[in-house]
Amino acid sequence: MRRGLIAWSPEEVPPETLDARVRRLQSAMRANDLGAVLIHTCFPRPAGVSFLTQFVPYWSEALLVVVPDGPPTLLAALTKRVHGWIREVSHIGDIVSAPDLGRAAAAYLKDRMQSSNGARIGVVELGSVPRALAEPVAAALGADALVDATAMFATLRQPADQAEIALAERATGIAAKSVALFAEQNGRAGDKVSAAERAARAAGAEEVAVLVALDLAQGTVFRWLEGETTIGRRHAVQISIAYKGTWVRRGQSFSLDGRDPPAWTAADQWLARAIPILEAGRLDLWPSTESTAPPGTVTGWMLEACVGTAPLSVAAMQGKGVLRPLPPGSLANLTVRMQTSDGPWVRSLPLILGGQGTTTRPLAPIFLGTPP
Amino acid sequence: MSAPIQAERQRRLLSLMAEHEWDTLVVVGNAWRNDYLRFATDAGVIEGQAIAVVQRNGAIEVFTESPDEANRIAAGCPGVTTVWAPDPSVEAERRLLGMGNRRTAIAPGAIAPYRFTAGPLAGRFDDATALLDALMRRKSAGELEAIRRASALADEGYAVFREAARPGRAEYELVADLEAYYRSRGCPDNFMILGSGGVEVRGMHPPGERRLRPGDLVTTELTPSIDGYWSQICRTLVIGEPSAEQQAAFSVFLKALEAGIEAVRAGVTAGDVAWAENEVFRRQGLGEYVTSEYTRVRGHGLGLYVDGRPAVLENVDMVLEPDMTLVVHPNTYHPKAGYIVLGDSVRVTETGCEVLTHTPRVLFSMPG
Repeated sequence: MRRGLIAWSPEEVPPETLDARVRRLQSAMRANDLGAVLIHTCFPRPAGVSFLTQFVPYWSEALLVVVPDGPPTLLAALTKRVHGWIREVSHIGDIVSAPDLGRAAAAYLKDRMQSSNGARIGVVELGSVPRALAEPVAAALGADALVDATAMFATLRQPADQAEIALAERATGIAAKSVALFAEQNGRAGDKVSAAERAARAAGAEEVAVLVALDLAQGTVFRWLEGETTIGRRHAVQISIAYKGTWVRRGQSFSLDGRDPPAWTAADQWLARAIPILEAGRLDLWPSTESTAPPGTVTGWMLEACVGTAPLSVAAMQGKGVLRPLPPGSLANLTVRMQTSDGPWVRSLPLILGGQGTTTRPLAPIFLGTPP
Repeated sequence: MSAPIQAERQRRLLSLMAEHEWDTLVVVGNAWRNDYLRFATDAGVIEGQAIAVVQRNGAIEVFTESPDEANRIAAGCPGVTTVWAPDPSVEAERRLLGMGNRRTAIAPGAIAPYRFTAGPLAGRFDDATALLDALMRRKSAGELEAIRRASALADEGYAVFREAARPGRAEYELVADLEAYYRSRGCPDNFMILGSGGVEVRGMHPPGERRLRPGDLVTTELTPSIDGYWSQICRTLVIGEPSAEQQAAFSVFLKALEAGIEAVRAGVTAGDVAWAENEVFRRQGLGEYVTSEYTRVRGHGLGLYVDGRPAVLENVDMVLEPDMTLVVHPNTYHPKAGYIVLGDSVRVTETGCEVLTHTPRVLFSMPG
């Protein structure tokens, strides 16, 4: 529960951009004969609704109802005293107070769908929405009326438009400064995390998660720090930043010796060559498509992107292949772990995925610090 | 993660399962609503959703939606097997179907995935929500200790907040200071909302870009967590010297909080506590401002969730029991001053309550 600055900037995300995203969804709805699309939003799953409206709930839940024409309506379980705040931070049609979200959604839809016999209602991530939301709607309109709109929404979600890429670049800059401050801060692990978090929030991050692998000799698992902890000689940090609904991750391994060991530098150089050949449609072949062997064993790589209501979902990973196809131009986050002769090495960074004639472009330098 | 507390919780949970002859208990959690999952497994979810399958012999599998989350939970929860899948509800469903015909319960029912009730598992679950609520309601000694430490952190955090509140600073900069402080203290999570301004302010919200001005009322509730347990403080400060209207308004809230805390003891209802708070307002002719038009609740339960039961409202008849923990907060709008908050966390005792919050109950004044 880490909400920082929540604000809509019409300069950064113009209403026309949001309207265009809604129109694309409405066009797909008409093509798929859907009378409405429902997208649930709550603290852990804000991304579907924020993509269309910039609204991000800081607690409680809401349901966005998109119909084939006109602006979307938000049914909000949040108290109506915050409707003014919702208006300030988002671009949305009507806001309807809905303390019992499921029942309110059922009544709202029954009212509107009555004239459309056999109207089908698409629900993004139908199988995993809370039953308290879906059951009343299914009871009111018939379970057969609800269809899973996850795949349809995913095809619209990526590639990223210019507004989203600009937000990601801003978020990447925030993350980079935070990582640098983490590295520069001497002393306690808590003070390092504190410096990184303060910088990110002061720069306007909406969400900040600073996770640390305290001692790479013990493993590369990123964790929240609880209580008093000791940072190891070689450690890693992964800072996840949300800036106006767009998420990036920036991760780096560090040595307290003050300089990256040679094998890590070689790994950075290898990654700098390997990233441009990461390609939509050939993700399952990466990184073996890079002609130079990595200077160690790649123990894991993972590509995450936003394709639904989760800010980031695993799209492809080592050993699993492609789980969620991404088109060229997708905004994604790559995390790579490698076992080198100087111990484990980790990097996370956002990128724009290449393919069909374009080259994958990282949004950040591979390494933060002095190049070798 | 909190091994000693977890051992005690697991003992209680497995005893409940045996009592109700549940072979399997399915517990759902996510980065917001993690209380049941944390109680059952000690797993804290940072991102996404997780589903735990707990067997009567104590074996626990947790299904997550990212490998990093699975690895993190496995590292922090020895003995828990983690499985990650693009959709953990699909994987958990497969697992449960593979287990055959077993007596299975689920909690919390409201956030269980629709797939579990609409698909091949439909009708298979007993609802364990109320029984787990009862287990979580009265805190053990270890749980109370975590809540006391969280309460102390809430007090410390409010001192940091007061120092941060200066004219010209943006709301989000105050939150940056607070969160940085909590990270430096090894406190990984905090729920906070705030408000700033005058009579036009009707509530609190996440930080915005507004900059503090002399004369502002600045409200906040801080809710830090220790070992997954949350405690809360609500306080109001003024940038500069409080006006006579602000002081007079605040005195109503102080009397209301004192009345509410005075009412807390085992055997009374949450409604009794709310009534005690609200009567203070009504006697001042401010009864309109204790309705849902202006305020959500007059307090709420605290524990592994920031906003647990009971809701402290006049129509809530949940009886308070010893070692329940809650925050009493008559937060609402005052027509002469604006939105004011004042709240202390307490532990219910047989004869009254232990107040866990130690920050003075005053309308603070910070240099303007």
